[in-house]
Amino acid sequence: MNKMYSDKRYIILFLLPALILFCGVLIAPIGASGYYSFFDWNGFTDKTFIGLSNYKELFTSDSIGFMKALGNSLLLAVLSVFLQLPLALLLALVLGKNIKGERTFLSVYFMPVLISTVVIGQLWLKIYNPDYGVLNVALRAVGLDDLTRIWLGDKATALGAVFVPILWQYVGYHMLLLYAGVKSVPPELREAAMLDGASDGQVNRFIVLPYIKPIIKISVIFAVTGSLKSFDLIYVLTNGGPLHATEVPSTLMISMLFLRNRYGMGSTIAVLLILLCFGFALLINLIFKEED
Amino acid sequence: MKKILAIILCVCMVPFMVACGGGGQSGGESSDGEQVTLKLWSIATESDANRPAYLQAIEDYEAAHPNVKIEMEAFENESYKTKIKAAMSGGSSEDLPDIFFTWGGAFLGDFVDAGKVVCLDDIYANNYTEEQIPSVMLNNSSYDGKHYGVPTTFNIVAMYANMDLLKQAGWDKVPETYEELTKCCDDLVAAGIIPFGCAGSETWCVTEYLEPIILKSIGYEDLNKIFAGEATWNDPDIAKSVDTLQEMIDKGYFDPSGIALGNDEVKANFLAGKTAFYQNGSWNTGEVAGADFESSVAMFPVMNAERSTANCAIGGPSDHLAVCSESANADLAAEVAVELGKEICHYNYLNAVGLPAWTPDYDTSALEPLMVQIGDIVNKCEGMVLFGDTAMSADPAQIYLDYVAKVYGKEIDGQGFIDGLTKDLQ
Repeated sequence: MNKMYSDKRYIILFLLPALILFCGVLIAPIGASGYYSFFDWNGFTDKTFIGLSNYKELFTSDSIGFMKALGNSLLLAVLSVFLQLPLALLLALVLGKNIKGERTFLSVYFMPVLISTVVIGQLWLKIYNPDYGVLNVALRAVGLDDLTRIWLGDKATALGAVFVPILWQYVGYHMLLLYAGVKSVPPELREAAMLDGASDGQVNRFIVLPYIKPIIKISVIFAVTGSLKSFDLIYVLTNGGPLHATEVPSTLMISMLFLRNRYGMGSTIAVLLILLCFGFALLINLIFKEED
Repeated sequence: MKKILAIILCVCMVPFMVACGGGGQSGGESSDGEQVTLKLWSIATESDANRPAYLQAIEDYEAAHPNVKIEMEAFENESYKTKIKAAMSGGSSEDLPDIFFTWGGAFLGDFVDAGKVVCLDDIYANNYTEEQIPSVMLNNSSYDGKHYGVPTTFNIVAMYANMDLLKQAGWDKVPETYEELTKCCDDLVAAGIIPFGCAGSETWCVTEYLEPIILKSIGYEDLNKIFAGEATWNDPDIAKSVDTLQEMIDKGYFDPSGIALGNDEVKANFLAGKTAFYQNGSWNTGEVAGADFESSVAMFPVMNAERSTANCAIGGPSDHLAVCSESANADLAAEVAVELGKEICHYNYLNAVGLPAWTPDYDTSALEPLMVQIGDIVNKCEGMVLFGDTAMSADPAQIYLDYVAKVYGKEIDGQGFIDGLTKDLQ
């Protein structure tokens, strides 16, 4: 058996199915998107090679509005890292202290991750409904009529209103990742720090956080790349509207591909999304490495 | 033990290998007398008003042709646009339906250009007369003089009115002139009733308001030229039309919540008596007629009598069936599609879901009075303009819809609208 494991031919043979699957499902479509991004193509008729024109148009055309969509995604990434993750970390630290009802709280916070995004979208659509939505009803009930809004129809509030459910849905996801990390901290380390007179806050700061740093890094990568790829909830809630106020690269890509029949331009956005996700993942790795 | 495990694994592989292999016809055999199954894609979902007509037409056809089975798969309107385009652009013949629902104009035109659609000229010429299907009804699915689609209905943009609410504001008839309409809206607002509802989250609903105003300002001939790309958008009367719509919004004639709502919610508000008017396609007639109030229907009044007549409308035969050229049973599917389209049209008319693109050869005496009213309006029409987003090809249509959304969101005024479209669609 050991002889077999050391023979490279066997290793290649055993890895081949997974490699074929990986290349077929991931690498080939990326390659195809890259190829199509150099063409003016409506998806049905003949393609015309136009070089980098799609890339140029994407960054310069006002009617496409890619920069605004990218800006919205980056804003979501910032909010995810500086709002969602600290909240998830706080919950993980609290739940990691063996509090009463730990499992119940864990299940409750994780529940939004398990619910279908479309269901969550419909739920928040009802919450934001300008007439009977619970948000406006509650504001009216406490006499804050001036604060009622058409949350998803007003350009000024739509982006924020869309970000809230996205951030809310994945708090539980990051919390679970970080909770697993917090739970893996050896109890003797905590106890030693406590014996030295460290407070809860000091234990968390000097023992737990450094210990779970690799998991925090993973969470940051997931939060940033997830924000750049965000699509489903936005599609259900506003589909990029009103007036492109909540447009993100993914909704723009769908619009280009299937509404405007611009497969070349849609592929260009897909390629840029992949590059951005890779770029940010590398950057985050680099930042954490430098800190180490 | 290892041998047993190996045998079990091998046995488990068999179904996967069988599933991966093959590639036989999904549609069965096409020779006479043998059972054939045809796949039909449509947007006739459970909530779609067209569904009963589709189901009835399929049932009738299958009863008359026991060897043909039609399997309908229905998709939600917006997701269907993605589905059919994705299937047409990359799908193999097994991924594609034999017969598919399509909008006429440029939507079907893109598939025709790509050679994905069967020409139906022979079937129309051999099996149907001009009297049964007037050639004008095939215009929106004809390209280079050849017919590729079967119209399943014929609709116009109509202005439905809740007469109970109008009476509360002192009106016992639907306004006939623009001056009357503004007066009526003022009276409704004064009585605490919202005149109109319009779904801002679905821009096509905004076009159902804007296009009739433009039509009644510049006339059907000029608007047809603009949609066909033969004339420019740079027309001061179009700018004025846009300003008129925005003026109506400013005066509180539109439900402010509408900007965040979808069409279903806006329609529900009208049917529940929250708004006095609802301007949308005539496919809503059955639902409006079934509401708990006295209803009436009219057209948006003339804005500029020098350029437009009252007797013109936005609409036409837009919904069609077409046959996929990659169908294993394309000839049979073509025959089925035409007959099915004719019968769907028949039942749609009787169900007050649309006007007949095919000349009725059945009893229409029990027709919904509201549908008869719309029929009378259409009979007087001198000209029609197909819905803008259907008449234009996908890219310009989306640019146009973006500008319409900006108008409703008051991001641009009339001048901005014509300047922008002239620049972007030149």
